[in-house]
Amino acid sequence: MQVPIMPAKGEKFIIPIGPQHPALKEPGHFEFSVDGEVVTGASLRLGYVHRGIEKGTEGRNWVQTLYLLERICGICSHVHATAYCLGVERLAGVEAPPRAQAIRSLVAELERIHSHLLWLGVAAHEAGFDMLFMHSWRDREIVMNLLEGLTGNRVNYSANVLGGVKCDIDARQTDAILAGLEHLEDRTRHYLTVVTSDVMFLRRTRGIGVMTKDVAEKLGVVGPTARASGVARDVRLNAPYAAYDRYPVELITATAGDLEARFIVRVQELFETYRVIRAILADLPEGELTVRMPRRIKEGETISRVEAPRGELFYFIKSNGSDTAERVKVRTPTLPNMASVLTLAVGHQLADMPMILAGIDPCFSCNDRMIVVRDPAGRGAHWTWDDLREYGIEYYR
Amino acid sequence: MSAVFALVIFPGGVFILLAGMLYEWVDRKLVARFQNRVGPRWFQPLADTVKLLAKEEVVPDGVNAQLFVVLPVIALAGALTAVLYVPVFGLAPSFSFSGDLIVTIYMLSLLTLCMGLAGANTLNRFSLLGATRTLTQLFSYEAPFLLALLGPAIVAGSWRISTIADYAAGHWLILTQPIGFAVALIGLMGKLELPPFDAPEAETEIVAGALTEYSGRGLALFHLGKGVELVVGLTLVAAFYLGGVTNPLWFAVKTLALLVGLAGVQTLLTRLRIDQTVGLWWRYGALLVLVQFLALILWEGVIA
Amino acid sequence: MKLMTMWKDALESLVSSPATEKYPFQRLDAPDQLRSQLHWNLEKCTGCALCAKDCPADAIEIIVLDKKAKRFVFRYHIDRCTFCGQCVESCRQGCLQMANDEWELAALSKQGFDVYYGDDADVQSVLVGTTPPELEAAAD
Ligand code: SF4
Ligand code: SF4
Repeated sequence: MQVPIMPAKGEKFIIPIGPQHPALKEPGHFEFSVDGEVVTGASLRLGYVHRGIEKGTEGRNWVQTLYLLERICGICSHVHATAYCLGVERLAGVEAPPRAQAIRSLVAELERIHSHLLWLGVAAHEAGFDMLFMHSWRDREIVMNLLEGLTGNRVNYSANVLGGVKCDIDARQTDAILAGLEHLEDRTRHYLTVVTSDVMFLRRTRGIGVMTKDVAEKLGVVGPTARASGVARDVRLNAPYAAYDRYPVELITATAGDLEARFIVRVQELFETYRVIRAILADLPEGELTVRMPRRIKEGETISRVEAPRGELFYFIKSNGSDTAERVKVRTPTLPNMASVLTLAVGHQLADMPMILAGIDPCFSCNDRMIVVRDPAGRGAHWTWDDLREYGIEYYR
Repeated sequence: MSAVFALVIFPGGVFILLAGMLYEWVDRKLVARFQNRVGPRWFQPLADTVKLLAKEEVVPDGVNAQLFVVLPVIALAGALTAVLYVPVFGLAPSFSFSGDLIVTIYMLSLLTLCMGLAGANTLNRFSLLGATRTLTQLFSYEAPFLLALLGPAIVAGSWRISTIADYAAGHWLILTQPIGFAVALIGLMGKLELPPFDAPEAETEIVAGALTEYSGRGLALFHLGKGVELVVGLTLVAAFYLGGVTNPLWFAVKTLALLVGLAGVQTLLTRLRIDQTVGLWWRYGALLVLVQFLALILWEGVIA
Repeated sequence: MKLMTMWKDALESLVSSPATEKYPFQRLDAPDQLRSQLHWNLEKCTGCALCAKDCPADAIEIIVLDKKAKRFVFRYHIDRCTFCGQCVESCRQGCLQMANDEWELAALSKQGFDVYYGDDADVQSVLVGTTPPELEAAAD
């Protein structure tokens, strides 16, 4: 009989969370060392869902790459496609027509609604409040249906093409969206009351996982997580892309920096999102949806930043003049936010860990990249697709 | 012969197990409906049980195998024994002696104790933590729960369940002892580890708590035990506080009404952390029920 | 500071019917925009294979039997298709279209996932493999 190794006296008692754990819907591995119920240390291991997407772009042409990158994230797929399109368009020296840019922003904002409602449900579930979970997900269906009606798909909308968008919007869809928003706004107002006044829920959020502005800036936290700590940062404002200069958003921040503040910031962002969508629909520029894109993109490199629901999404794109990207580097918002989980964990109860983790709205599969710092196998620093595949198979053996 | 019948078929044994599943279904269905879901169909708990019983029971490495196998049996046996002293289905208890109230309450706690032991028996860290939480929670609600059930015993002047039930059938004690009623009902939720007191099996933290390593038969028996405990607990509260359960119809109406309340509380409250649970019970639960208890004793002392 | 702030939702949900869609028993209408199975129109096609080149999933093959006589067979691997709609955009002749109501495509066997469009006789000749290999312009 094999006896698992248990910590001897005085050693740390470590609670592993993940890679398979009900708290995580995606694989990641946390180790929390606990003293009774109090967490005294935390460590993290990522990389379970590394899919070699960046490498994969090297074997595809510019158009095919768009759809590959759109699949980096199942929740905020549109922002990935938008970031990529904007970057490639800049490299090619073309600009999508204003109507296309407006529709890009519109879909992005609808996606933000769906993402924030999804997050609200997941975070409530982590706290054991399934009532809020089920109801916010029920209401999320409304925006999912709107997105389906507008773009033709519920998840990977494929609204973008290089040089514009595929889907146009007509009066009937406008009406449907406005009606949907009406209902959602009501519900959102209700959820805001729930997360700010339900005593039992506040016991799990107020004063938990407090991150001061200093810490947030030091850790380079992005998105709503940063804004809840008072860091006024939003790519839509600081460097407007697509149509955000035409339809400016207002910044939502909070100062408390605890879990409650993260709830408030995200829920209030929803109102701002509703407002922006209405503004776009009220004043949609007429015109073409696409411009012609060259098949080969001029040599050069660029960066492209957009505000994903989880924070700043960063793309680096390099072209060598062929019909394939030479290098596409993606940095998703979860990566900078992950560090905050480990910092905040220490000193809290184990029961707060799922909440603190959910507080940053993590997305593991977006996040997992591979960097070879030292190569123990002695292989060349340049990995081919086959090397990567072999490594992946070895890794899970 | 009649003792065996009472233990194995009716009201204990088969009938109570089925009733437990039925009540579990009502609870799950109600929670689902509150959440605007469809919820399980009526035979789902039965199907779950049959499926679990048919499955292989995996005994993990590093546990005391005998203990691992026998604990679920003891747990269920404890719950079933408790049935015999309680007026389930609105019938008179099968057995009765003075002081059976205490025995019943401890029989009910046996399940929780077994679960704690089962968790501590394995080497799984989630189980160990779950066991700690289970036992911590046990010590926090047990005393208030006991006091809450002793309130009716004091006014009835007996520690025999059937006597108290007879007395309570004439008096709606919920009116004179509202605190006791609330504490008893909430204590029952703590006993059954229903939300918001489900920290011992909080899935987002410690998977399934003390029962993480259990599968197949063991898990089925623990679940059955919980179902039985649900029925027994509801019966006790209804018999003591809601004007008694003197016939099967009253039994059904009153216990199901309690179950609706239970399901509502479950859906509307967020899970408490274990430190919050303990704090809540000792700071408010125990104190309030103690105050009421003292008031009762004084009242009884002055009147009598 | 309130307790049970969602009680109203609970009561409303209790009396209203569940939000769950009873999918196989009740089918919702698909929106007009929905992208499902791809359809190809031989008349306008020039055999340029742009659609096949841009397809991210390698789901399209244009098999050119005779370019001059416009004898093309369009082989569509519906199991690989991600329904992204890029091919529809890429085709400058507008010969591709996606239906909105053919989305129940799950099947127990892989057979039937290769869809052939084109002239019946040409499809037959591709199926029995009489096409000379040098004529088969597989897309990449
Ligand atoms: S819809 Fe997309 S995946 Fe399907 S065939 Fe067209 S380009 Fe290929
Ligand atoms: S892009 Fe259009 S014209 Fe060209 S091969 Fe495809 S379907 Fe035919």
